[in-house]
Amino acid sequence: MSTRAVPLPAARPTPAWKRKLSFTRLGRWYTGLTIGIGLAAINTGNNLLFLVLGLLLASIVVSGILSEQSLRSLDLERRLPAAATVDQPALVGILARNRKKRAPSFSLELREKGGDVAGRGFLVVLAAGQSAEIAYRLIPRRRGRHRFVQLEVATKAPFGLFEKSRPVDAPAELIVFPRHVEAPLLVSRHLAREGERPQDRAGQGLEVHSLRDHRLGEDARTIHWKSTARAGKLIGVDREQELRRRVCVVLDHRTLSGPALDAVVEQAAALFERELDAGSEVGLALCGAGLPPASGETHLHQALTLLALVETAPRAAAPLPPQHASLLVVS
Amino acid sequence: MTTAIFTSRGKGLTLMQAQQWAGSLAVVAAFGACAASGELGPLLLLLFPLALAFAFFFGARFAGKAEWAWTLLLGLALLFFGAQVLTGRLDIVLAAARFSTLLCIHRLWHRQGERDEMLLLLLSLLLLCAGAALSAELLFGAGFLAYSVAATWALALTHLRFEIEAGRGPEGSAALLQSRRLATPALLGALAALSLLGLVGSAVVFFTFPRVTIGGLRRASTGKPVAGLGDQVDLRRHGTIADDPRVVLRVRLNPPPKTTRVNLGLHWRARALPVWTGQGWRAQTAGLAPAVSLPPRPELAKPSRAGTYRRLESVVTADIEAVAGYSDGVVLTPPGWPLRVDFSRPLSARGTAQRLYRNSTGDLFYQPTEVGDLRYVVTVDQNEPAAELLRGRGRDYPESVKADLEVPVEIDPRVKALSDRLTRGRDPVDAAAEVERYLSATFQYTRELAGEQEDPIAFFLFERKRGHCELFSSAMVMLLRAAGIPARNVTGYFGGRRTDAGYFAVRAGDAHSWVEVYVPGAGFLPFDPTPPDDRGSQQESLWPRLVLLWDSIQQRWRVFVVDYDLISQAQLLKRAGALFSEAGRRLSGKGSGGAAFQAAWAKAIGGALGLALVAFLLLRRRRGQRRRVRGQTLGADKRRALRLWRRARARLARAGVVVGEATTAREAAARSIVAGPAAHAAVEELASSYLAARWGGAPLPSEWARALLRQLDSALRPG
Repeated sequence: MSTRAVPLPAARPTPAWKRKLSFTRLGRWYTGLTIGIGLAAINTGNNLLFLVLGLLLASIVVSGILSEQSLRSLDLERRLPAAATVDQPALVGILARNRKKRAPSFSLELREKGGDVAGRGFLVVLAAGQSAEIAYRLIPRRRGRHRFVQLEVATKAPFGLFEKSRPVDAPAELIVFPRHVEAPLLVSRHLAREGERPQDRAGQGLEVHSLRDHRLGEDARTIHWKSTARAGKLIGVDREQELRRRVCVVLDHRTLSGPALDAVVEQAAALFERELDAGSEVGLALCGAGLPPASGETHLHQALTLLALVETAPRAAAPLPPQHASLLVVS
Repeated sequence: MTTAIFTSRGKGLTLMQAQQWAGSLAVVAAFGACAASGELGPLLLLLFPLALAFAFFFGARFAGKAEWAWTLLLGLALLFFGAQVLTGRLDIVLAAARFSTLLCIHRLWHRQGERDEMLLLLLSLLLLCAGAALSAELLFGAGFLAYSVAATWALALTHLRFEIEAGRGPEGSAALLQSRRLATPALLGALAALSLLGLVGSAVVFFTFPRVTIGGLRRASTGKPVAGLGDQVDLRRHGTIADDPRVVLRVRLNPPPKTTRVNLGLHWRARALPVWTGQGWRAQTAGLAPAVSLPPRPELAKPSRAGTYRRLESVVTADIEAVAGYSDGVVLTPPGWPLRVDFSRPLSARGTAQRLYRNSTGDLFYQPTEVGDLRYVVTVDQNEPAAELLRGRGRDYPESVKADLEVPVEIDPRVKALSDRLTRGRDPVDAAAEVERYLSATFQYTRELAGEQEDPIAFFLFERKRGHCELFSSAMVMLLRAAGIPARNVTGYFGGRRTDAGYFAVRAGDAHSWVEVYVPGAGFLPFDPTPPDDRGSQQESLWPRLVLLWDSIQQRWRVFVVDYDLISQAQLLKRAGALFSEAGRRLSGKGSGGAAFQAAWAKAIGGALGLALVAFLLLRRRRGQRRRVRGQTLGADKRRALRLWRRARARLARAGVVVGEATTAREAAARSIVAGPAAHAAVEELASSYLAARWGGAPLPSEWARALLRQLDSALRPG
């Protein structure tokens, strides 16, 4: 298995003083008018035009000071979902914390910057010393690794003339699992007899392995009540160990690419889930990678992560399924 | 939309309502500033408020409809104004102002989205600029102030409204936009304070921006006096002379008058009206010519020996500001022989080089080519020859005063008889003085006009025996002319009221009429037969005082804002520099009176610190009251729990755990893992106790709270 190339985050951290200033549509008109009025004032010497010019320039300065005040001492933190799946909505949170003691921050837009994901949210006001979280809906359109590079907090406060923004380094990545599809009607090959069958030793199965005296402190559920009734004393029971059905999903992706690869990966994921839901221990065999049969949420997460990152690997070794497992070969 | 203003219920304004009100207020303020010029015309003055009211009530119903009709109307208006500008019938600035007003009206009727609101604000700014170009009145200043506040509201609230709409979508933002908890008085007050900051910045830019003027494309003058000093007087008018309190002249005298009286009581001569029309007087039409210099005073008036002159200070300059619309191009001169008139105003953008004109009766004129007030300085020789020097000059009058001897053919014989009685056997100067004394002492003053009379002078002298100043002066002229003494009627103003702004105000109600009598070798000398107490304006009620106060403020506005130029700027900076330098010198104890200055400085700092301390104590007390009010609802254990949690939070913050006001105890406990497992366990236990006491009603003894804090301290202690 191999993963897609992902650009590394900037080696040099973004300085806290870095700002970006851009005009809004109103700001462009406003600035143009200010320049025009300034020229008219200089041309005519009309003091009242100088007065208007003063007001406009002062508004720009005040706007700059207040927007800076809004952006100062803000901490941003991204909160990613535990899992995301192609075409399934997921919520990504951005937590903003105002570290200022007195001054609130107004009109904040929190957004992603520079990564594979675009998302944004808006906060009307963030009081001094308070935290607030916004969340945006992410619907991934492809599986695999989604890289987040920076968060950006921007404000147009107080007048909407300019947008001042501050980038904050917040590198992270989210693995998006393959799309949910209907599992194909595949039957397991080889070792088809393998499945849930009793072993001749005590374990956690359902069948009775042997009877014995009940031991003090033992769980009351181990008492074999019929034998207890017959014997007139507490008789305990040992159950037989049962071997769970072991299945391995095999995906050879050496020659596949593009939509075809995505399709088989989705089928493999669907098969893996189906078998896991059916109570089997499911393994995964990919080119150059794999998982031994096991069960549980963590195992499913690991398998989906591996499948999410599957790419064409023509030079990789063929899939190597584990022994003693039924094979489900996806092609 | 607009109807939301009237459909929403409850107290206060929703954000949307506040934003729309603020936008409308900004437009109204800008329109007011523009309308202060008085040049927008009655149609627009009427149309704008009507359109505004209709937009509020029916704007939502018409928004977006009949756009073609609006486009057509505005297109036609543009063509109309364009044609007027091209044909020179309308000034381009005025045309732009009128068209901007129409665009504002259109936009007020179509406030549907962000674009409309932004356009409305930009148009209001254009209107304000047009107002600045059209008007220099104090009313513009009032409009400007209102605009700065309203536009700050409008900009901020518009931004907020559409940011919310963009950030949350139409559905998500609806509740917030209709909420009355956003546009609170506190927010509006804060924004108003912000506008004050803007105004301070505006003042700084205004006073420091270099006043370098290019002077191209300056607005052409279209000034037309609307009232003023006419060239004729009609004695047969009906009604009552109104005591108009509006200021027509602002005067500064140099040297300043020594009198401390409120009313200066000077004659401000405008024009001579020598020609009798049968119903009144009119000016001579011929003889107007440029006056490079003014004629010198006749030799008689020059000092020949000591004690022949009534006054010692001879030359006085009067710095006169003639208010637009009243002067009619006439130079008003204070009593005395005018020596020169100076129009120069260096480096002023509004001043233009003026030429002086003089007619055959000695009246002085300029070409009224500038909108706004005009300033000039008149220098006069106030020496008046003593009466003995004027007697015995004979009756050898030159040809130039022939018109001043004319009497009507059908003059009433009683006038002739009275003239004979008063002047027979007297020198012309004494005869004039006698007629002046007789009229002043015998007749009563009234502002009630007599109306249509066949011979108004005879009616005044022999029947009504009371009248206004024009009748007094006309009677004196006619009585003197009947005796063969050249005399003429003169108009102008009498007065000069002291103001707080340091100038003397001459008001329209001070309009006056008096007499000039010709004395061979001395020229025309003034005589005033109107009783002294009745000359000029008589009313000192509240309204004239308010008018004077307004004029005083307006004068300061003119001096500090309208007429602020490069020289003023240089002087201001120089003065500020000198002030700082002097303050530094005195503070260092080097200057004269340094100790006193230091003491004053220490007092000022002490006062400021005292005020700050009082403010701090008041604030603290208020916070304490709030806390007490909150605390009264909590029991002892809950209060203890709160205190415990505050202290724990402070300790966690010091230990590097991010804990804000809004962080819950459980969140804090989860985050405290960064401080180590011991700290984590301690916080967990503390949080449980806090939550149990605060919300679960569990007891929290003070010993237990202290033990929890000690445990936390020990867990957070490094090592």
